[in-house]
Amino acid sequence: MRPVRRPDVQRRRSKGSAVDWLRVGGHWSVWRLAVLLLVLLFSFPFLVMLTSAFKNAADIFHAPPQLLPRSWTLHNFREAFRQIPFWRYLGNTLLICGLNVLGTLLSCPLVAYALSKIRWRGQMPMLMIVLGTMMLPPQVTLIPIYLLWNHAGATDSYLPLIVPAFLGTPFLIFMLRQFLMSVPDELIEAARIDGSSELRTYWSIVLPLARPALATAAVFQFVWTWTDFLNPLIYLNDTSKYTLSIGFYNFFSENGVEWGPLMAACVLFTLPALIVFLLGQRYFVEGIATSGLK
Amino acid sequence: MVKRQHAVRRRQSLRGLAFASPYLVGFAIFIAWPVAASAWYSLTDFNLFQPPHFVGLGNYRHMLHDKVFWKSLTNTVYLTVVGVPLGLALSLIGALILNHPVRGQPLYRALVYLPTIVPVVVSGYLWRWLMNPQYGYIDELLRLLHLPQPLWLDDPAWGKPAVLLVTLWTVGGMTVIFLAALRNVPKELYEAAAMDGAGPIARFWHVTWPMISPVTLFQVIVSTIAYLQVFTQPYLLAQTRLNTSSAGPENSMLSYSMYLFQNAFVYLKMGYASAMAWVLFLVTMAVTVSILLNAKRWVHDGSR
Amino acid sequence: MKARHHLRTIVTSAVAISLGLTTAACGSSGGNSSSGRARVTFSYLWTGNEAKALEGIIAEFNKSQDKITVVGVSSPDFQKQLASMSAAKGTFDISDNFGNGVGSWASKGILTPLDSYIQADHVDTGDFVPAAMNQMKYKGHTYSLPIAVHDFELLYNKTEFAAAGISAPPTTMEDLATDIAKLTKVDASGNITQLGLGNPDTGTTMTTLGYAFGGTWDGPDGATPSPDNPANIAAVEFYRQNIIDKYGAAKVAKFTAGWGQYMSAQDPFYTGKVAMIIDGEWQPVSIPTTNPSLQWAVANIPYPAAKPNLAGTTQLTASTLFIPTNAAHKAEAFEFMKYLTGAAGMAAFTKALGNLPARTSLLDSNTYASIPQFSMWLQNLKNPNVHALASQPYSQQYSSDLATAFKSVLDGSKTPQDAMASVAAGAKQYPSS
Repeated sequence: MRPVRRPDVQRRRSKGSAVDWLRVGGHWSVWRLAVLLLVLLFSFPFLVMLTSAFKNAADIFHAPPQLLPRSWTLHNFREAFRQIPFWRYLGNTLLICGLNVLGTLLSCPLVAYALSKIRWRGQMPMLMIVLGTMMLPPQVTLIPIYLLWNHAGATDSYLPLIVPAFLGTPFLIFMLRQFLMSVPDELIEAARIDGSSELRTYWSIVLPLARPALATAAVFQFVWTWTDFLNPLIYLNDTSKYTLSIGFYNFFSENGVEWGPLMAACVLFTLPALIVFLLGQRYFVEGIATSGLK
Repeated sequence: MVKRQHAVRRRQSLRGLAFASPYLVGFAIFIAWPVAASAWYSLTDFNLFQPPHFVGLGNYRHMLHDKVFWKSLTNTVYLTVVGVPLGLALSLIGALILNHPVRGQPLYRALVYLPTIVPVVVSGYLWRWLMNPQYGYIDELLRLLHLPQPLWLDDPAWGKPAVLLVTLWTVGGMTVIFLAALRNVPKELYEAAAMDGAGPIARFWHVTWPMISPVTLFQVIVSTIAYLQVFTQPYLLAQTRLNTSSAGPENSMLSYSMYLFQNAFVYLKMGYASAMAWVLFLVTMAVTVSILLNAKRWVHDGSR
Repeated sequence: MKARHHLRTIVTSAVAISLGLTTAACGSSGGNSSSGRARVTFSYLWTGNEAKALEGIIAEFNKSQDKITVVGVSSPDFQKQLASMSAAKGTFDISDNFGNGVGSWASKGILTPLDSYIQADHVDTGDFVPAAMNQMKYKGHTYSLPIAVHDFELLYNKTEFAAAGISAPPTTMEDLATDIAKLTKVDASGNITQLGLGNPDTGTTMTTLGYAFGGTWDGPDGATPSPDNPANIAAVEFYRQNIIDKYGAAKVAKFTAGWGQYMSAQDPFYTGKVAMIIDGEWQPVSIPTTNPSLQWAVANIPYPAAKPNLAGTTQLTASTLFIPTNAAHKAEAFEFMKYLTGAAGMAAFTKALGNLPARTSLLDSNTYASIPQFSMWLQNLKNPNVHALASQPYSQQYSSDLATAFKSVLDGSKTPQDAMASVAAGAKQYPSS
């Protein structure tokens, strides 16, 4: 068993890491520059989105382009709130996201446990099935699944958007399985010898150990559901049930896009997920770190 | 004794089944049935509305002569071959940079992850705008640097690089996983290597790279699958108006999944689309297996 | 230990919530509302302001009678429309699409034939514009009714015309060629700064020019693709000679790439970057609100000097209403369709959206008097040279193949002959009707 290591920033700094060759003359400036450049590269489109949300129509399309608005306006945000029932859609989206996260937390580690810590003959075939599913082009299953839900009379309800999470997501099962592999067998064996049932062992020994990895899976699932577009689009008909991601359609029309309000809505859409990521990050990055994803 | 072993084994199997049951149910409903349905459709002429009409291997034979099919396949192979290594390198370098303790690190990481949160529908339009030769920021930057300014989406030669640019933008998910892997490399190994007089580059190649190789393998497989199925980014970049399915000049941005989608939902050739999906599935499987077989040569297995 | 407790609480409460939700979701589905009115779902592709105008008309209909309640859903996605129609139970009772898609869907049995309803209610289909009504039919049955039509005319920038010393819009193709040359400006380095003739939508511009040169896209029987008709090739060749070859495919592409969003304040025609366009009747509604200072006028599409009988040629496209086969309330949906396509409903709808009415009796109505220069589009619908693409099973794929071929001519990679020949070769694989 390898002891769980917590990253030690102080020690790392004094002893040096694998990549400190970028450190020129003992200063950190090159590093900071690299970080800033990287962050700028990735967040630039978002920066454009953010500043455009505060621009008036004339400033948005200006040649040559200018990043900052000549005059700041909140008009686009007002317009975005006027065109889509933001709070209602936010509530719908949060409900679906919450239940998806719950479903994932209930099902994925359970399956991952069967694929890592229970010795049974079905383990390998089952793992192959999980991996094989990941390779399946989603277009294959789209229509048959739609017909299935329609047959069950569940279109225009949240069931098609929620139930699948309670039955496990291959990517996350695979990820959690890789984590559970590194949980020492001795702990589980000890519990079994003590006469603890399998479910109890799983619930009281394995799950608490897996908490960081569960947080990772939760954040991933949250963000996927948050940004999911196709499924809400296909399954929801009643506009009062819409999620935020399909609310964006209000800003598109056959002949173009209402840029300002769209950008404002997009900023409003991204912020909650960003907050979830920032909150989850503490568990998140440490999470997989201690898990030994192999 | 033997009998007891049998009983134990059976109990283990039942336990395994019980724990795996959520996914077994999910697989049966959401995967096995649709896959079986599409396998049957792939042997038929099916327009989604009328009963399928059996045509044997006709759909598969049609692929051989379908020029657009081959075009979409070569486009997808190009994107995969260029995109996977680039994405891997970019996310690893990003993780190495972000792994360094700098003030504000959590925020920086969040900002690199941010592109994956932006809804794809919006990011497609956003990038079309950024790449606009007249009031787009990218060509403006190139102009300032005195570099040639491509037409991007209007030039057959630049369509695929444009798609790559947009897919690479969302490499933040991979970066986060690499970050986690870097955190997991035991520091004693670095210390030992440093004591042996290894320089930073040697330390990277002899400590970091082998230690993170299992994660790298995971990333290679997942991103290869993602590129072989790439759809949303080229679909939205090529789309000039809502509901028009365009594929860029000379079909330069037509990915395999886009052509599959067109056949299924624009031309309503469900049978042909299903056959295409099966070919893609088999290709993906073959590629993944060959990656796994090759992996033994470069993936360091820490547990043994 | 504490964390575990916490987790358990969350799990239990969430399971309870999801169960509650499940029952709620199941309970809320149902067809008829309690008031005894049939509930008809109208799923339409229009969005934004057009959707708002439509909702107004729906409200009017609901007020006008007490048997049916129509619920409008703005759902601009084709894929969703198809997915819903493929299922046993449809999610809407009436929806809209474009005229040239009718044949393809009718041939697959997705559309409810309207003949019996039309007969029973004595709906006079003779009042609908013939070219539009043609598209509504497939193999002798009517599957759709037109709610609005569109045709294409030549819009020009009066300021630029004056600056170039042109006193009147072109009447012949030869005039058009001369005017394109006069109205195109190139700077010292060969970059185009103004183009004589633009193309807001390559497919429509080219097919319309094809008709204007005397061509046909669907053969003499109106049901066979004929991309390589000599007049079609002549039309594409006209565009290539006068624009692509003359100024260079790369230069044109660069200039085109810099065009602003269509119908926005940066639209190239609105900003004077493009002096002429061939476009539809929605422009007179859009221009005064988006760029009121634009000095513009409209003329018929020119004809080849040798063929004066082709004067006033235009292409018609139609927006149509249909009832899917899996609709739950077909008769009620037809009631609403009758209302929308009736003279009063259609006038209100087309006025609000700035579209042309699909009824000939409305062409001289003064409903549209407030829209500037609208009459040009309205009146030209009476012209015998109004053509429309066929609505055959092959039409969808044909349009997309034609669009690809036009693009290859525009980017200089193919000659018009080769491009149209390749479409003709591909067309042999199309499903037959």
